[in-house]
Amino acid sequence: MHRTSFRAAMVAAALAAGLLTSAAGTQQNVKVSHTALKAGDMAPDFTLLDNQWKQIRLSDYRGKKNVVLAFYVLAFTEG
Amino acid sequence: MAKLEASDAVVFGISIDSPAANNAFAQKIGVTFPLLSDMNRKVLKQYGILKMYNVEKEEYDWAQRTTFVIDKKGVIQSVEEEASAINPNNAVAVCTKLPKK
Repeated sequence: MHRTSFRAAMVAAALAAGLLTSAAGTQQNVKVSHTALKAGDMAPDFTLLDNQWKQIRLSDYRGKKNVVLAFYVLAFTEG
Repeated sequence: MAKLEASDAVVFGISIDSPAANNAFAQKIGVTFPLLSDMNRKVLKQYGILKMYNVEKEEYDWAQRTTFVIDKKGVIQSVEEEASAINPNNAVAVCTKLPKK
């Protein structure tokens, strides 16, 4: 009986710690806006218009080409 | 660029500019790869790289300068942010090492 409640408390503490850690992580992501994606993750698919008004779908390149995505701030800037 | 093409990679630039602005930009700087328009910031949100910029006391959400290298299986091989994302050498090195099949 006593032992069970001790275990329950441990689980609760672990959960709380986990929640706190993930909350802190999320907050940091928002502040500095670092991507949560990392090497080994699947790249989220998308369809966007290119500068010739042609649709480009990322998954169309699967099995064919490696893709380099270079996000830049704005056109006509040094960014 | 030639090195990237030789390593069987395609390059896409992505920003929140319109296709028309991107086309003018492409002509001005002479890029040969497509520039994609994420006007509704959908992909920036998906990839988690919206960044707040303060211009004349107004705030704008634009892209964080980031480079992703994605292999032929659709798996991310490298992520570079900020200053290191400007230098393409690392992306070239990653692509060159990827299997060519």
